Amino acid sequence: MGPLLTTSVGSFPKPPYLRKARGRAARGEMDRQELRELELQATREWIEAQEQIGIDILVDGEMDRGDMVTFFAENLDGMGISGLVRSYGNRYYRKPIATGPIRRKRPVTLDTWKYAQSLTDKPVKGMLTGPYTICDWSFDEYFPNREAFIMNVAEFVREEARDLEAAGAKYIQIDEPALSTRPEELEVAIRAMGVVTEGLSATTITHICYGDFAKIYPRMLDMPVDIFDLEMANAGYQLLDVFATHPFRKMLSAGVVDVHNHRIEGPDEVADGIRRVLKQFPAEKLQVDPDCGLKTRTVEEAKDKLIAVKKGVDLVKEELGVA
Amino acid sequence: MNLTAVGNYPKIGKGPGGQKLRRSIARSDRGEITPEELALVEEEVTREVIEEQEAAGLDMVTDGMIRWDDGQTYIARQLEGFEATGLLRYFDTNTYYRQPVARGPVGWSGPITVEDYRFAASCTSLPVKAIITGPYTLAKLSRSEYHRDLAHLAMELADAMRREALALEGEGVPLLQVDEPAIVRNKEDWGLFQQVMERFTRDLEVKRMLYTWFGDVSGLEGFFNLDFDGFGLDFVMGPTNFDLLDGFPTEKTLGLGILDARNVRMETVDQVSDTVIDVSNRVSLDRIHLTPSCGLDYLPRETAIAKLRRLAEGAAALKETVS
Repeated sequence: MGPLLTTSVGSFPKPPYLRKARGRAARGEMDRQELRELELQATREWIEAQEQIGIDILVDGEMDRGDMVTFFAENLDGMGISGLVRSYGNRYYRKPIATGPIRRKRPVTLDTWKYAQSLTDKPVKGMLTGPYTICDWSFDEYFPNREAFIMNVAEFVREEARDLEAAGAKYIQIDEPALSTRPEELEVAIRAMGVVTEGLSATTITHICYGDFAKIYPRMLDMPVDIFDLEMANAGYQLLDVFATHPFRKMLSAGVVDVHNHRIEGPDEVADGIRRVLKQFPAEKLQVDPDCGLKTRTVEEAKDKLIAVKKGVDLVKEELGVA
Repeated sequence: MNLTAVGNYPKIGKGPGGQKLRRSIARSDRGEITPEELALVEEEVTREVIEEQEAAGLDMVTDGMIRWDDGQTYIARQLEGFEATGLLRYFDTNTYYRQPVARGPVGWSGPITVEDYRFAASCTSLPVKAIITGPYTLAKLSRSEYHRDLAHLAMELADAMRREALALEGEGVPLLQVDEPAIVRNKEDWGLFQQVMERFTRDLEVKRMLYTWFGDVSGLEGFFNLDFDGFGLDFVMGPTNFDLLDGFPTEKTLGLGILDARNVRMETVDQVSDTVIDVSNRVSLDRIHLTPSCGLDYLPRETAIAKLRRLAEGAAALKETVS
């Protein structure tokens, strides 16, 4: 693995034509096959865009996913979807519910990954939501306790990971954004991740965000993954202070552009961020990407943010003489 | 025994008209309807949720906090000195609130909830419980660019919220619920909390209960001696609260929060009645307010109604057992 490889956290914005189509499909005005063709078209466009920009490790952009938990819940036996629940202000979502033993009806992420990988010689990451997050973001009316729920979901995520690896995925990312919500459940989350990643030879990554990392560091390093993907830019690289308290001992994928902001960072600003991270992490142990999924940006903004990442990395690589 | 809800209630429901508040807020945000028109919809929905509480069999109702975005901003934006800013997670839920930031001294400049109480009381012949967020929780979940420390802000808010309590007292509310969930998750602030409560309750005459949720009050030495007529506790996320009831003062009222308001799983009628029978050995039935574990806003509307009905069914089963 080369130094300072560039990648993405997972989601990209859906182009307007796909957004409209999803609305029509939800209202029953478009059939599944027609929608699928548009999802694949958008996937193709994003693979091309990432190649053009020069990103090293690609993602399919999750053109077929709505919410990162609901998407999985919809494809599982034993999970249903509730009525609307408020998320904040005037925003609502349909929360998944565990209603019985959880089993996969069929591979959930494999087809889209295969399609995306067939379009490029660069590696495409397999993208999964972790068992802890799937459970934490769902209601449960079946399991005797949270741990039983989490460990059952872990079995499903493991099957997905194995399928992706068997199909040739070199990188598999298992996102756990909920991880730092309840520090007292970290051990369960770690065990569940162990079920998912045990025996995999692919490089494994987990993305955690919105966290109070001071409460879970350094214990979180026991998560059995190779790379932690974390948002650094939006908190002004304060995470580095937390990581200075104890050796990190894993690889880091550092978010260097803020995804919640319309402003496009300049290459110098990105390079500055990378240099700050490089004071604590050797270049060979560092990947670089946006803070989080880019799905809330416009297509243009998302591409510009990726370009900013790439240009910032190129500047630093030149300084290091590894360009 | 008195059946009542803890506070907030799902703002939207199923069926035609169920989403009128959500649509009206969106239209108001786009400037398509006036604030007065939005206020009418808020009143209509408030009336509906009061009717739903009555129909479920409650003895005392709340206005469902239909006008509140969350427990913090509704109060803070009507106080002097605050501004609402970025989204923050509310404790360990998947619900977010806009964090109030104090830019200068904070103070009460006029009644915040009095009109709301008046309207709710006009909708029903049942007693209506008034609800405010307590000064400590308000301070803890906010941030200040002006105050020296948490104590400085919390003591100022104690004065401000005391004036709100006095305004409600003047209105003749039968019971004031003061929400202080933050103390169960920040027990190290217990000393400060007592000072803040002392200042807040000084010369208050209104009948008042202190409510907490998402944890237990163990270790808060003398909690039940605070100058309140009763205490509402969460026995779902704070099962240790059961152990504290041996010392519950005979002249005070217990808010017995035993229905899980954060999960759709329905408790059985027997679970409800058995728990109450067990508790009634230590707290007499006429001193119990039977409630969900916290506000019902975390549930879809139909589940919230079912939970309230289950309270009433449990109480009915209990009457049969006792008689």
